[in-house]
Amino acid sequence: MIIAEFGLRNAEWEMKTENGIVVDMDIQKIPLEQIDLLDETFSVNYFPDLQKLRSSIQETGLIQPVLLRKKPGGYQIICGFRRISVTKALGRLEVESRVFEGKEMDEFRLFSLSLHENLTTRGFNAVEKAVALDKLIHRFQIHRAVVINTFLPFFSLEPNEKILSTFLSLAQMEDEIKTYVLKEEVSRGNIRRLSALSPDDRMALLSLISPLKLGENRLRELLTLLEETSRRSHSTVKEIAAQAEFQAVLSQKELTPSQKTERIKKVLTDLRYPKLSQLEKAFEKKRKDLDLPFNISLHHPPFFEGKGLKIEFQFETIEEYQIILSALSVLPEKEAFKQMIQKD
Amino acid sequence: MFPIQIEKIYLDEKAEKDSVSKTILKALPNIPVETVEDKRTLIKQFSSMSDPIGTGKRYLLITHFYGKRLKPCPGTSNHICCGYYVINAVTNCPMDCSYCVLQGYLNNPFLTVYTNWDDLLEEINYFLSRDKSSLLRLGTGELSDSLALEPIFPISQFLIDFFSKRQRAILELKTKSPNIDSLLDLDHQGKTVISWSLNPPKMIGEEEKRTAPLTTRIEAARRCQEKGYPLGFHFDPILYHEGWEKEYRETILQLFKQIDSRRVVWISLGGFRYPPHLKAIAEERFPRTEVFLGELFPGRDGKFRYLKEVRVDIYRKMARWLKEVNPGLFIYLCMESKEVWEKVFGWAPESSRHLNRLFEERVRGFVG
Ligand code: SF4
Repeated sequence: MIIAEFGLRNAEWEMKTENGIVVDMDIQKIPLEQIDLLDETFSVNYFPDLQKLRSSIQETGLIQPVLLRKKPGGYQIICGFRRISVTKALGRLEVESRVFEGKEMDEFRLFSLSLHENLTTRGFNAVEKAVALDKLIHRFQIHRAVVINTFLPFFSLEPNEKILSTFLSLAQMEDEIKTYVLKEEVSRGNIRRLSALSPDDRMALLSLISPLKLGENRLRELLTLLEETSRRSHSTVKEIAAQAEFQAVLSQKELTPSQKTERIKKVLTDLRYPKLSQLEKAFEKKRKDLDLPFNISLHHPPFFEGKGLKIEFQFETIEEYQIILSALSVLPEKEAFKQMIQKD
Repeated sequence: MFPIQIEKIYLDEKAEKDSVSKTILKALPNIPVETVEDKRTLIKQFSSMSDPIGTGKRYLLITHFYGKRLKPCPGTSNHICCGYYVINAVTNCPMDCSYCVLQGYLNNPFLTVYTNWDDLLEEINYFLSRDKSSLLRLGTGELSDSLALEPIFPISQFLIDFFSKRQRAILELKTKSPNIDSLLDLDHQGKTVISWSLNPPKMIGEEEKRTAPLTTRIEAARRCQEKGYPLGFHFDPILYHEGWEKEYRETILQLFKQIDSRRVVWISLGGFRYPPHLKAIAEERFPRTEVFLGELFPGRDGKFRYLKEVRVDIYRKMARWLKEVNPGLFIYLCMESKEVWEKVFGWAPESSRHLNRLFEERVRGFVG
């Protein structure tokens, strides 16, 4: 069905393919040196994991020949970038290929063919989908509506403008960010948040977040805090990320990535919510002034909404219990405590 | 003045014969009309589009409403409410405020008008006949703006006439629109309060798309006052931002340059607040909105509000500036706790019922 939508279902296609893979063409051995490895017209490869492919080619050779197209002075790769790269790395000199003549099919058809064959044989990661969609729109000038309705479902994506924009923005991001997106399996929502940043801000952000261990939700929280802090303070994310507090946290070798994450989040939260942070600091100072035993804790209402304080204590012995009681009984005489209760 | 171009009218076949439907179609000539048998399928189709609420504002659905259209104002738990009742004759709104709670609230995205007015009157009549002791306040501005659709759907004119003959009830029309021309010559008997939500011009420009500018709202209020309507004003939502004090103070001064404060029956103050799900929806629709950049936190009712300290500061200052104009102004807080009332005014209503009684006294002293 997809093939028909791509405009590929014709006699020629039927003759050459089976389940979308080209079969009915002679296999030739083409010398690697005649293949232009820098011509990426049809490539959507990104950050491929070549290890498995390498062992497979080493053990059993190439199962599926690559697809090439003749061009003046050599060959252009249509499908098989990774296989050719591994074959070359293994020191081989030739590769089994099926070869299209120069003008046999137009470039868009060949690109569609390559997408289809890749989908059948290995699938695409998020960045590869982004690169493919970007090529469809910008290189092959395919109408957005066609890309949304035909190609998004082809990549198992919901056919809507928002998804297309998300992937197109990913295609434009810096390689380091793309790699992070793949490695950390960043969600589309977070890709959208990243796309709202300038390249400089993204790179600054990356230096802040890559040493941390962030799940999807934590990443969303940090991105939201950073974005909102930057808008509130009219400063860039880069300027915020350069603040000494962040560097101080990141440079503490004894902290685990999760501990660093929590501390970075706290610094950001204080920047984003300065009034709340002030109230918390003032409360904390008074709490310290009370000099309570370690097993009594004193809490303000969540976000200082509502009245009242909450005291919790814990004990194991009668003596501990008595110490707690006497500490509590002197609280009303303490100035800090009175202020906490009568706070306007 | 109608703030938006309607692209299509869907006319529910059940509403086809209503005279109100004919009035609407006459007021909107040259707009394609499609008669629908099953509005639910249509609503379902629209709801699955991206931005159904935004798109729905351009499509008018004329239909009937079954079920209760008169309800107590939902208020909010753990807070003092003013005992108001809401009448829903319209849902959705042609204007488009970034903070509008309807964005996350309506199941039906269409701009929808209900034309079975007889049923509505019956419901209001029955409701008023049950409670003979107190003075009831009812308003139409909960699921839409009360006057935004008036040029095509003259429900307010109809209700003003209805309430002019009622002894124990008062109608409030809350709006951000200038659509008062058709109300000016009605015999309202002082039983309808027309009220405007106000914000400083900068906030209106940035956050209240397609609403009337401040000067236009004040001018409309002045014309209503000239015709003897009691007026109300709602500084709600107050948007806390850099420079808010100067902007709100100037807004108050600008208002009372034109409006006689002695004819203002009530003024409410309400800091911006929102239910948790609104932020994502609103930010998607209004990526440049700044309303969510404040320090807002969930309260006991789950809604996000500014820190108590901030709200108290806002309300104290606003109340002071208003009292400087006229110490007799009746000012109340919308959906606030007793504690906040106390901090702002030095006293608090005992309960929602108490506040309701205070309203009653105010209204009686006002309209007799
Ligand atoms: S005027 Fe009222 S109902 Fe209309 S969009 Fe604004 S807040 Fe919502």
